[in-house]
Amino acid sequence: MKEALHVEWTKLRTLAGTAWLLAGVVLLTVALGVTASAACADTGCGDPAKTSLTGIAFGQAVVAVLAVLAVGGEYSTGMIRVTFAAVPRRSTVLAAKAVVVGALVLVAGVAAVLVSVMAGRFVLAGDGAALSLADGPVFRAAVGSVLYLVLVGLLSLGVATVVRDAAAAIGVVLGLLYLFPIVAAVVSDPDWFKRLQRISPMTAGLAVQATTNLDSLPISPWAGLGVLGLWAAGALLVGGLALRLRDA
Amino acid sequence: MEATIEVSGLRKRYGPTVALDGMTFTVAPGKVTGFVGPNGAGKSTTMRVILGLDSVDEGHALVGGRHYRSLRHPLRQVGSLLDASALQPSRTGRNHLLWLAHSQGLGARRVDEVAERVGLTSAIRRKAGGYSLGMRQRLGIAAALLGDPPVLVLDEPVNGMDPEGIRWMRGFLRSLAAEGRAVLVSSHLMSELQDTADHVVIVGRGKVIADVGVAELIETASGERVTLRTTARTQAMTVLARAGATVAVTGTDTLTVTGLSGERVVALLGEDAVPFSEVSAHRASLEEAYMDLTRDAVEFNAAGDAR
Repeated sequence: MKEALHVEWTKLRTLAGTAWLLAGVVLLTVALGVTASAACADTGCGDPAKTSLTGIAFGQAVVAVLAVLAVGGEYSTGMIRVTFAAVPRRSTVLAAKAVVVGALVLVAGVAAVLVSVMAGRFVLAGDGAALSLADGPVFRAAVGSVLYLVLVGLLSLGVATVVRDAAAAIGVVLGLLYLFPIVAAVVSDPDWFKRLQRISPMTAGLAVQATTNLDSLPISPWAGLGVLGLWAAGALLVGGLALRLRDA
Repeated sequence: MEATIEVSGLRKRYGPTVALDGMTFTVAPGKVTGFVGPNGAGKSTTMRVILGLDSVDEGHALVGGRHYRSLRHPLRQVGSLLDASALQPSRTGRNHLLWLAHSQGLGARRVDEVAERVGLTSAIRRKAGGYSLGMRQRLGIAAALLGDPPVLVLDEPVNGMDPEGIRWMRGFLRSLAAEGRAVLVSSHLMSELQDTADHVVIVGRGKVIADVGVAELIETASGERVTLRTTARTQAMTVLARAGATVAVTGTDTLTVTGLSGERVVALLGEDAVPFSEVSAHRASLEEAYMDLTRDAVEFNAAGDAR
């Protein structure tokens, strides 16, 4: 496993795209967080923590691309066969990819969240004064947002392993994340609306960012992140099974 | 580890298509073994099965007596090149070799050694996407050599190389075999293996048609034939046919004589004072031998298709 980790780290490190995509995660998350905070600066938004972390919902798209390419890039070139000839234990390869991608996203996520919260504090003048990581719920929202990005990365990795095509995998992941809330919105039945929100990886997962009005949430913060965790675990599991059963 | 490949009774179908139909052969150390057959004969599938990439419905493939997937550091036992373009173009050649080296517990020094051995040192720090196909083949060979393996499995390694590269590859494969390695090289062109292979495994439709030494194969195909060069073609044919030979016209002034030794041909022509400029033992090319050998199989297949 140590060698497999070294391999996957070397692979990602030596692709120019990796550094750009990680920078993209931070920049996009911060930029959109600041924009959302600025829009709320005058009127005052209900939840300053959630507002300052709005950018996560966009930064996740870049995380998805990064994670999908870590697998899809090997399938599109056929390099995956070279990988499996060098490391025949395919589940080890997938696990190593998950660890390396997860760690990189963790680092980018921490940076993105820290800068977003600090920026939010300045931009959201009045409300922002309350925005401190020493505050329990705000800290939970911050940590939860970082974990949210990591889980989106793992979900993307699993999907890409199943689909074996980068473009298709990105489509599936973004569809899962962004279409779920849209579909839920057109469902008129309030019970089904709530059910759909509870199993939607993005809506449920981002519940972890809420610091006010927790009673109105479709699902509690940590349980919501758990839903996304289940999606990610499921995708990786199916991916691992597919690797075992299919020809490389 | 023993330097051998043992392929035994491989069967595999993709839906209604039979890809492998009882493929069986062994590859011995110290030799270049050519793996020849038309496209779609099952060469690449067999190689993927040897490398543990594809599963089979029946049979097994062993390297040094073990399943590939059970090997701890497989590239130290079996070096392989399936597709020279199977790399991510934005990575440098050196970094491509580097991650492979890491997978076998090897370091950057080994990477530079193999890059030098295949003559790629000057280009190794450039992006592999900018390599010509010939350079990618060299990079692929370097990757196959990383673990200094006793067994090599190479799928069409000269494909896309220029004549100079092909000549280099031939010499290189010979030297790898001379070091005692078992080298399995596939090709869909028999002529590519001329002067390279010691042994050939000829396949068609997922199974082995012939498994034979190259010297023996050429000897059989050459047979008891004599090439005769003469301006008096008709006269020579009459004389030789009378003596019981089968004579075929193969050029404006050349005849191929079957059924008589070269000495006898010279004696007969001398008796009747038939002029000739050359009498030589006919030596078949590998391609010719291949054609002789596969003719029956092809005819059989054509008949099968017609049904």
